[in-house]
Amino acid sequence: MNYVVPILLIAVLVTGLIKRVNVYDSFVLGAKKSFNLSISIFPYLAAIFIMVNALHASGLDVYVTKFLAPPFKLLGVPSEVVQLVLLRPFSGSGSLAILTDVYNTYGVDSYVGRCASVIMGSSETVFYVASVYFAGTRVKRTGFAIPIALLCNLLGSVVACLLCRIM
Amino acid sequence: MNIVWTVVTVVALVALTITNPQSVLTVCLDSSAQALTTALGLVGVYCLWLGIFEVAERCKLVEGLSKCFAPLNKFLYGNVEKAASEYISLNLASNLLGVGNAATPSAINAIQIMEKEEKLSRSGAMLFVVNATSVQLIPTTVIGLRASMGSANPADILLPNLLSTIVTSVVGVALVFLMYGKPAQNPTCLTGEVV
Repeated sequence: MNYVVPILLIAVLVTGLIKRVNVYDSFVLGAKKSFNLSISIFPYLAAIFIMVNALHASGLDVYVTKFLAPPFKLLGVPSEVVQLVLLRPFSGSGSLAILTDVYNTYGVDSYVGRCASVIMGSSETVFYVASVYFAGTRVKRTGFAIPIALLCNLLGSVVACLLCRIM
Repeated sequence: MNIVWTVVTVVALVALTITNPQSVLTVCLDSSAQALTTALGLVGVYCLWLGIFEVAERCKLVEGLSKCFAPLNKFLYGNVEKAASEYISLNLASNLLGVGNAATPSAINAIQIMEKEEKLSRSGAMLFVVNATSVQLIPTTVIGLRASMGSANPADILLPNLLSTIVTSVVGVALVFLMYGKPAQNPTCLTGEVV
């Protein structure tokens, strides 16, 4: 697995050499676009981070987690990982911190620890991805895209907990 | 997005003002600074991948990739512009290889080509859902973290993780078909909008 990226990079560069493409100029031309792309994403990131951090600092996230633990229990999601399921759509680094917390508290190889691992691997930071993807476009109305993605995240969490019980 | 963000932020800020008024400004400013650090980090990441993409494109590698994925892309997206379908193929390849950092810039490029209106098209929604539910062969970050925290078998989550991502991908794609219908296969309709 450690070799995928290095091999990919070398393969592309060597192909360029064989096909007599000006590799250096092409790379620089492509790389030049990265600055504008990142800067166009920045304000959207700021908005998301303010929301998530305010939610966390106010302690509301703990309250919401407690409130939603019983319905999640009905779906087979243990209460210890509810906070992870809820935060996951908003923040990648935040959910990684919670995952580490779960590992420390309940053990990496415990049922809860394994559930949390699969939830982390099979869900996505939906709101973060949405803001990054649509940042440079005129898109204002995203229709069903976000609801579908959120529903799949939830489904992924339920399936994750179920699979960890039998596998 | 407008309503969700505003409501959640206002509620959170009100709660924070009640519990700890002097921290409100610090939290907001820290978040903005954190966003800038993240964006600057992304410059480096995108720089590498967009540079490599450009080289791959000049070597006609992307064109070949696009041809390989053409049947799948046609099924999922219908007819999209050639440039967009090349980025979609790059995005799919990056996701399958588990190189999430390369998946993002290719998806953004595809979206920027496809989306000209304020309302997200079917193709854009499909690309977003495919990425938000992407099949992951190897969850590198999670396995790495498990190993570093002393797991007896860090990779024993591979199979449940793979199955669970397959379930979410299939359901996600099915839901897009359910809500948006089949993609336009008409050769004159270049953007793949809902018919």
